[in-house]
Amino acid sequence: MTAKPYLTRLAIWLLVSLPALTAFVFVTPADFSSAGAVLNLMGRLSGGLGLAGLLVAAVLSCRIPGFDQSFGGLTKLWQLHHKLGLSAFILLLAHPLLLAFAAAEVSLAAAADSLFSMQPTVLYGWLALLALMAFIAPTFHVFGEPDYQRWKRLHRLAAVVLMFGLLHSLMLGRTLPASWNKLLWGGLGLLALSAMAYRWLFSRYYGRYRYRICNVAAVSDNVVELSLQPLQVPLRYRPGQFIYLTPFASELLAGAGEEHPFTLSSAPSEPVLRLAIKTLGDATKALQSITPGSDVTVEGPYGCFFRQTELKTKGLWIAGGIGIVPFLSYLRHCASQHQAADVQLIYCVQDEQHLLFAPELQQLTAVIEGYHFTPHFFSRHGALDLDFITQHCSDLRARQVWICGPPPLILLSRGIVLGAGVTSGDIVTEEFTLL
Amino acid sequence: MKSLSFIAFIVFWSVAGTLFALSLLVPGSGPVSAGEKTYTLQDIARHNRTDDCWMAIAGQVYDFSRFMPKHPAPPAILAVWCGKEATQGMKTKGYGNDHSPAAWAMTEAYRIGVLKKE
Repeated sequence: MTAKPYLTRLAIWLLVSLPALTAFVFVTPADFSSAGAVLNLMGRLSGGLGLAGLLVAAVLSCRIPGFDQSFGGLTKLWQLHHKLGLSAFILLLAHPLLLAFAAAEVSLAAAADSLFSMQPTVLYGWLALLALMAFIAPTFHVFGEPDYQRWKRLHRLAAVVLMFGLLHSLMLGRTLPASWNKLLWGGLGLLALSAMAYRWLFSRYYGRYRYRICNVAAVSDNVVELSLQPLQVPLRYRPGQFIYLTPFASELLAGAGEEHPFTLSSAPSEPVLRLAIKTLGDATKALQSITPGSDVTVEGPYGCFFRQTELKTKGLWIAGGIGIVPFLSYLRHCASQHQAADVQLIYCVQDEQHLLFAPELQQLTAVIEGYHFTPHFFSRHGALDLDFITQHCSDLRARQVWICGPPPLILLSRGIVLGAGVTSGDIVTEEFTLL
Repeated sequence: MKSLSFIAFIVFWSVAGTLFALSLLVPGSGPVSAGEKTYTLQDIARHNRTDDCWMAIAGQVYDFSRFMPKHPAPPAILAVWCGKEATQGMKTKGYGNDHSPAAWAMTEAYRIGVLKKE
């Protein structure tokens, strides 16, 4: 039994607040003696909160398989990481400005001195802040959508940010007594360092499963299904989970040695892993024409789309495009286990041409008791609406809803089912977008 | 959240840039003026109480009597430096860490002269 996601999120925010909360124990009346003193205190607290936020965001990015379950899946964990990172960014921008405003109580020169001092400890702070700006800036999409691999490489600057941020805090911090300062920042720093060591060293050399591509089946003109044969111990997973795949084929025109996330389409009981890949960029395009025989590594599993391998409730599944894959995995699992599933699947695509795995999805209705399949074509039926859903699923409010597809479809479907009276606790979504 | 961060990013550079420009435009207190008072360590030693506290730090002399209640650490920690050459106290805070540039800048408000070379 995993912890409830909101409890885990609460624990994470508490961990971030730990240095600031501890600081309150050591606040003295002198910290409130003037407007400047209060601003100075706020400046120190924002710095502490910001650095703690970054350190915990680094811990969350470790991507240890299984760690994401208590957050409700890896995408939910990424969303928390993203929120923490941006909150820390805002706080760390406020930190030097608040300290400068505090010093302005003395003089303008004092304010400028506190910001542009050549003291090494202050320079460490600047170095950390500039490196942070360099890897956060692409998130603003000023120059369009950032390239996924370049964006990931830029994130390595986090190591510079954390190292110089910690040095700055350890050498200048005066809100906490020295021993507390070392204990708190040392502890959080060690956690972040362990997470980065796992991500960049351990997972790369020891944490991945070795597979060989044994079959490549074209599903449509831009979707292919790869079958992977295990070379060592096979991966254990639940239906609907995803993995990070790193192909090594030298024939690949792009993406060799790069890792990308893909949802597994196979049933866990199958001897091979199957994953459906849609052309979304250069690397996924190159994978469409890969020939069997080359080796890949697989890291995972991640995601928490289906918490159990046997649904306890009646379900409404809404899929869009390649978002059909986790549902297909579940259906294949049901078929292999002769398991019933009381679900209504509504599969939204532009037209018949864009239906993926249509014959199999249709065939499985005869194999799995309780499973119904309804395609929805935007070109014929228009946007998905409540009428269409209730026409095929009259007891909507009695069902739990799973949605997987492009963000606009998730937003639309979520709005429709919420409007029809389904509670948000009964809606499970999974979106694959660069945050 | 992204928009808020972007706004914070723009505001940061606007404010930091303004402060930098203003610090160049507004003349500071500058180096010690020719007519400034000089004190010996003996002069300073006479002001060795928390309510009458002088210190010599890096060649400058300060009267911290008004500042004592405002200092974040308890007055007892500073009191040992009253009436003395306190550069080490300023640079180590008792456990090896220097005071922040903001703290150094704030001392300027309490400077009363320079230390006479003996």
